[in-house]
Amino acid sequence: MRVIWVDGEPHKVDVEGDMPLLWVLRDEVGATGPKYGCGIAMCGACTVYVDDRPVRSCSLRIGDVAEGAKVTTIRGLGTPQALHAVQAAWIEHQVAQCGYCQPGQIMAAAALLHDKVAGKPPLSDADLDDHINHAMSANLCRCGTYMRIRAAIKSAAAKLQGQRP
Amino acid sequence: MIRYALAILLVAGPAQVLAQDSTPGLELWGKIHEVFSHPRCANCHVGTDRVPMWSGPEYGAAPRPHGMNISGKGADDGANYLVCTTCHSKQNSATPHGPPGATSKGVAEWKLAPVEMQWFGKSSAEICKQFKAKESNGNREIAALAHHVTTEPLVLWAWTVESERKPPYSAKELGKIVEDWGMAGAPCPTK
Ligand code: FES
Ligand code: FES
Repeated sequence: MRVIWVDGEPHKVDVEGDMPLLWVLRDEVGATGPKYGCGIAMCGACTVYVDDRPVRSCSLRIGDVAEGAKVTTIRGLGTPQALHAVQAAWIEHQVAQCGYCQPGQIMAAAALLHDKVAGKPPLSDADLDDHINHAMSANLCRCGTYMRIRAAIKSAAAKLQGQRP
Repeated sequence: MIRYALAILLVAGPAQVLAQDSTPGLELWGKIHEVFSHPRCANCHVGTDRVPMWSGPEYGAAPRPHGMNISGKGADDGANYLVCTTCHSKQNSATPHGPPGATSKGVAEWKLAPVEMQWFGKSSAEICKQFKAKESNGNREIAALAHHVTTEPLVLWAWTVESERKPPYSAKELGKIVEDWGMAGAPCPTK
């Protein structure tokens, strides 16, 4: 038995230590935002944060998650009333096609912007492109929404840097 | 007096020849190089581009850069938004083709070796010189190098896979080889 905090709420989980965090979130906690794509950390669909760092939850055993760890899924990133800048930009650019990969894409994009943009000196367009290339290449989209993903990240970045309302 | 000097030369001669003969030492270095150039070790001992490699039996003949445009530029454990431990957790994945993992001091640890310890793409002579030089070996004497290869969790991790992916020898044997190589004068090959 261990307690993990998922999107701000404590959950007691009583499972084998080798169960992947993704299974725990979806089947035990009922947080179905993160998706199963490849199961081997190759596609990014299952991305969540553990203690504010992105992880591939399909490849992280619950036994390796610290007692009391703070897990954030797409559900905890923003609320319908107060969307995260990335979520708002995703809607603005109508990024999703089938949508399956998008929770992972959004979590990866939000981590990038949190690390390199929010509260930081403005990045040149080329530098932002470079970071997007690095941050997002490990998130696959079979519908091929990559152009819209890039546009939405740039849009969210501009907003976070106060360059647009 | 001349007879005395000749006697010294006769006694000193064979010893000098022995000291210059570094063949046993070079053989020992050859074993160390077998380990260091093994994909399991060299794949993360990369150069200034900080791009880890995917090479080894499971990747076919040609080494290729780590997929997904991964780079350790900016920090040896990856950019903050995509650190190595995003995918590489505390343990090797039990799923075929899943990511390997390692632990140090209770936390997941995965990172590139410092750039001054580049092995991938370097010759045996270059790696040897770099392994001996304190400025590129973490300021270590030979004894400390032997200790390092037998105790550092990321080094020990290299042997935690099935036999066809393991580097040769064992960490303990490697430590002994490094010690013996040091006692043999720690010679380096010329190429
Ligand atoms: S399902 Fe986890 S990375 Fe693909
Ligand atoms: S929107 Fe369908 S997989 Fe990305």
